[in-house]
Amino acid sequence: MKHFLKKIFIYGFLVFVAINLIAWLSLSSLQNSSFYKPSYLKYEIKEENFDYIVIGSSVGLTGLDTKLIDSIQKTKGINLSMDGTFLNSNHLMLQHFFALNKKTNYCILAVNPNDIVNSKPKLNLNDYRFLPFINEDYVFEYYNKMENDNFKILSNSKYFPFLGVSLYNSELFYPSLLVAIHPKTHNRFDDNGNYAYVGNTVLEDKKTKKIIINWNNPYVEKIKNLCLKNKTKLIIYLAPKYKTEVENQNKKYEIINFTSEIVDSKMFYDSIHINESGRRQVSEKIAKTLIMK
Amino acid sequence: MLFNSITFLLFLPTVFVIYWVFGTKKVIFQNGILLFSSLVFYASWDYRFLGLLTISILLDYFSGLKIAQINDKKVKKVWLSLSIFFNLGFLALFKYYNFFITSFTETLSKFGVESNFSILKIILPIGISFYTFHGLSYVIDVYKNKIKPEKNLINYALFVSYFPLLVAGPIERATHLLPQIKAKRIFCSQKAAEGIKQIVWGFFKKVVVADNCAFFVNQIFDNHQSFSAAELWLGAILFSFQIYGDFSGYSDIAIGVSKLFGIDLITNFKFPYFADSLKTFWQRWHVSLTSWFRDYLYRPLGGSFGSSWNSIRNVFLVFLISGFWHGAKFTFLIYGIIHFVLYELENYNNHKTENTCYRFIKILKTFLLVTISRIFFRAETLTIGFDYFVHLFDFSFTSLHFFYKNSKFILLSFISVFSILLMLFLEYKNGIEENGVVKLSVHLTFAIIIIIFFMGSFQKELPFIYFQF
Repeated sequence: MKHFLKKIFIYGFLVFVAINLIAWLSLSSLQNSSFYKPSYLKYEIKEENFDYIVIGSSVGLTGLDTKLIDSIQKTKGINLSMDGTFLNSNHLMLQHFFALNKKTNYCILAVNPNDIVNSKPKLNLNDYRFLPFINEDYVFEYYNKMENDNFKILSNSKYFPFLGVSLYNSELFYPSLLVAIHPKTHNRFDDNGNYAYVGNTVLEDKKTKKIIINWNNPYVEKIKNLCLKNKTKLIIYLAPKYKTEVENQNKKYEIINFTSEIVDSKMFYDSIHINESGRRQVSEKIAKTLIMK
Repeated sequence: MLFNSITFLLFLPTVFVIYWVFGTKKVIFQNGILLFSSLVFYASWDYRFLGLLTISILLDYFSGLKIAQINDKKVKKVWLSLSIFFNLGFLALFKYYNFFITSFTETLSKFGVESNFSILKIILPIGISFYTFHGLSYVIDVYKNKIKPEKNLINYALFVSYFPLLVAGPIERATHLLPQIKAKRIFCSQKAAEGIKQIVWGFFKKVVVADNCAFFVNQIFDNHQSFSAAELWLGAILFSFQIYGDFSGYSDIAIGVSKLFGIDLITNFKFPYFADSLKTFWQRWHVSLTSWFRDYLYRPLGGSFGSSWNSIRNVFLVFLISGFWHGAKFTFLIYGIIHFVLYELENYNNHKTENTCYRFIKILKTFLLVTISRIFFRAETLTIGFDYFVHLFDFSFTSLHFFYKNSKFILLSFISVFSILLMLFLEYKNGIEENGVVKLSVHLTFAIIIIIFFMGSFQKELPFIYFQF
């Protein structure tokens, strides 16, 4: 029995070391690559000062073209939005940006009205993309706060990296193999951090709905405070939504309300995302109305 | 408490250490610890299920004692009938009542008769089909004088509720398991090491093979009309590997866990996808259930003796009932009937051959027939099953785009195919005559563990398919 337990302990320890080593190499490989936005910002973006940055979810990623805005305004901007994220992840991205000693004059927070209403933010679909930076306090604290399970897998990845890497193996382990060979590969975004949806789905022609939203999400205020602390001006950009008009009654924040800016269904990829044509129109208008230089 | 959960990962080593540290002096301590652990394990699903399990244990325990005590054959038969009636009654009530009531009222309404039968709002107690069959086989064996009744209630309760096999088998026989329970187990490091290797292999089949296949299978079966014939074929084939990986993986884990406690369970799968006929397939697939039906239904009905009509009727009943055993749905009945038809057709057209190429074709044919029948096993309703089947032959649309529509799908397609090939290769390499056990070396076990961590599907904790039966 003792001999068996000793053997199990030795083999178990070897397995434990091996999987942790593989996971650690995997996270290191990702950190030294441009595959996901948090790593891209550290590895590829050498500039430290920006005129503006765009943070947000897929509506920011696919709805604003920083390259086009820069070409019109002669500014330097970058799109740090990530699909599958909400305001809490956007706050984390902003923390990450400032932690890398980068500065910006403006921060455009691109949001979907539904996200502002959400009073109980939780861990988002693509938050694992920050896992290569788990040793940073702000990332660890974020996971620790957002994970509600008894066993906090992402938080504990700080000590046992195999936990997070095996849970998200198709999202972390395999890309890490790819970027070990091609570190500058991007996961669905261009050199400026933008991505466009091409084509459109058939949307039902209906009457425009006017809605009033409650600003319940605590992360709007947190993002504003973080901006204030870093002498950055926050602009909240309410992205176009098909046949929806948000009545803006909030005077606390500077808001660009484009919810009803696009009416042509051909400029929508789906009901909450504009396509390439819609993005061009919106970006041109932003560049003309919001002077960030 | 799923085998693939963190809770079980803590539960198993705890029970293992307590069992071998405190249970070494007397067999009663060993059995007491295992029984208590089994009840905790079962209560972790829902403590209310313990009541039914206890009733089932007490019913069969006392029935066994009574049957052995009484000499009068008629009274013996009454006790046996009572036990069978109550056992099947519980099964019928919890598993089939709503199905029969719904079917009955639907039939009546077709004839314009309104009925007022209400359905029961009850949850199916997990593992009921398995422990009911444990109990039934015990009582029947006592009645047939194959075994003596177990006088010690703890031993008997452990035979029925032993946690590795409680919720999804293998369906054990008293003749095999009870003698092991009654004897004191002495720790054997070789057996324990074999157990761990089998657990690792079971996890590989479940987490890597089955759960990665499930990613595609669930999407295809949930919305089959959006897919091409080629994608539907692949969906059905992947389901065959999913259910095999899932169920045989569970059995491997159960058998491996049991070996850690010094108890051997019967082999449930003997590499069924290398079977070259449906007959051999059923000798290799879910062996504990097939042999149960053979011994307690087919043979008592007369088996293959008597007229050919009787023989066909017996085979039909076995397939029909074993199909229905899986659940109260018409799809399972059809699944059973399809196997009966194919089985009988094969009986008339089965040529034995030593030719390797021809044998390979027969293996492929058997696999494809099983795969097609499984469409009905997986489909939610008969209509969906038939529609899926018809679309398989719509060759106007043969794209496989679904499997490579983005990088994630390409990656998961690769992992699924790789893991299936690895599983088949290791099964083949180990020799299909090796009694259903893949023997892993230490190095291979090490490699398989690494593969589990970096190829396994962990984001959705998918329960084992056979838990619902």
